[in-house]
Amino acid sequence: MRVPHDTVSVDKISFNQIYFRMTHYIKTMVVVIGLCIALQGCYPKGPEFVEDYDVVITYVKGDYDFKSKSTYALPDRIVKVTGNLAEGDDPVFIPDAIATLILTRIRTNMQSLGWEEVDISDDPDLLLTPASWESTTILYYYDYWYWWWGGYYPGWGYPPVYASSYSTGTLIMGLIDPSVVGADGNPVLQWTGAINGILTGAYDATRMNTAIDKTFIQSPYLKTN
Amino acid sequence: MVMKKIACILLYFLSTYAFGQSLTAIQYSMGFGTGDLGSYISKPSFRGATLDFRKLVQPNVGIGFELGWNVFYEGQSGEIYTRDKLSFSGNQYRYNNQFPLLFAGDYYLKPDEKINPFAGLGIGTMYSLRNTNMNVYTLEEDAWNFVLRPEVGVLIEATPEISFMLCGKYYHGFEAGDLPSQSYFALNIGFVFKK
Repeated sequence: MRVPHDTVSVDKISFNQIYFRMTHYIKTMVVVIGLCIALQGCYPKGPEFVEDYDVVITYVKGDYDFKSKSTYALPDRIVKVTGNLAEGDDPVFIPDAIATLILTRIRTNMQSLGWEEVDISDDPDLLLTPASWESTTILYYYDYWYWWWGGYYPGWGYPPVYASSYSTGTLIMGLIDPSVVGADGNPVLQWTGAINGILTGAYDATRMNTAIDKTFIQSPYLKTN
Repeated sequence: MVMKKIACILLYFLSTYAFGQSLTAIQYSMGFGTGDLGSYISKPSFRGATLDFRKLVQPNVGIGFELGWNVFYEGQSGEIYTRDKLSFSGNQYRYNNQFPLLFAGDYYLKPDEKINPFAGLGIGTMYSLRNTNMNVYTLEEDAWNFVLRPEVGVLIEATPEISFMLCGKYYHGFEAGDLPSQSYFALNIGFVFKK
């Protein structure tokens, strides 16, 4: 049975109406896309200066009693951990002028925590071993402080392996009790402080001092006084 | 199969847009975090946008969808964080992006008047993306939260085709994925195009 044409209801929309509506739709989409681009342009950017990237990390072995100790020894140079000793080369150091400033700041912080600095020949309770980490690829490294402690602790062959990987130019400080050695006969790090990437680029004393201070501020268990 | 469904939904909305009574709202959105989101980032968000579409099934009832985006951001300087034997400090840069995707319905109290208050409810999902940046590292957490979103607002007619819009929305995203409940208020202003 055929349905008469006049019984079928059909919306009649002219070409002009469709054109107008589609144009309106396109305009709306253009506004939306423009708004998205504008908002993306003002997306918060985060760090602006190199010091904004500074991170200070400290790690302590939980079972060590720092309060029962009082003296420490510190070398007068800061060695670079580069991996070169494994190839038979001599250790290399950061420039003395910069090392002196860093070591002075470390001394100031240790003193304020109650520690007395003594020479390595005076049987210190702890050895503080600063280094500039220059590689992210070294899993093991050789005795980078042998030039300093070799005459006093000659049996130490493989100093502790610092955990994790640090950015190039990271300043690392370790505290070692010479009377405590691991099962392999090597010293054990009781505390580690790391300032990530701070020895790259130009030396900024304010930035460095702030970071070194922070290393000791976030290690209150080192306080002996 | 999924693409077909998405295509059908898009075609439906495009066709209803082109050939029915409808409202399309483009809004600038400010966000104010509450709960976990407010604790993580206390600063309000001044970066956000919302696109609302409603098909008027009756003169005072509209149903449709909502797409939105708000980014919350805050820098934290120098705080010390300790976990077991490890402590670290430095500047943290926190980002929380919220992308609500909702089915929505509104009820218009005075559809024939120049000032037309309305209330509505949305239901759907919200993609929450949280990044905690420190140094060159980022901790990324995300979730697809189930969302309920009540809304109140007002339309102020400027011309027969265009109205101004002011509205407040509250997004309550339930716990999901890596994140606990993510919720925030949004205050939106924008334009509504009537067809």
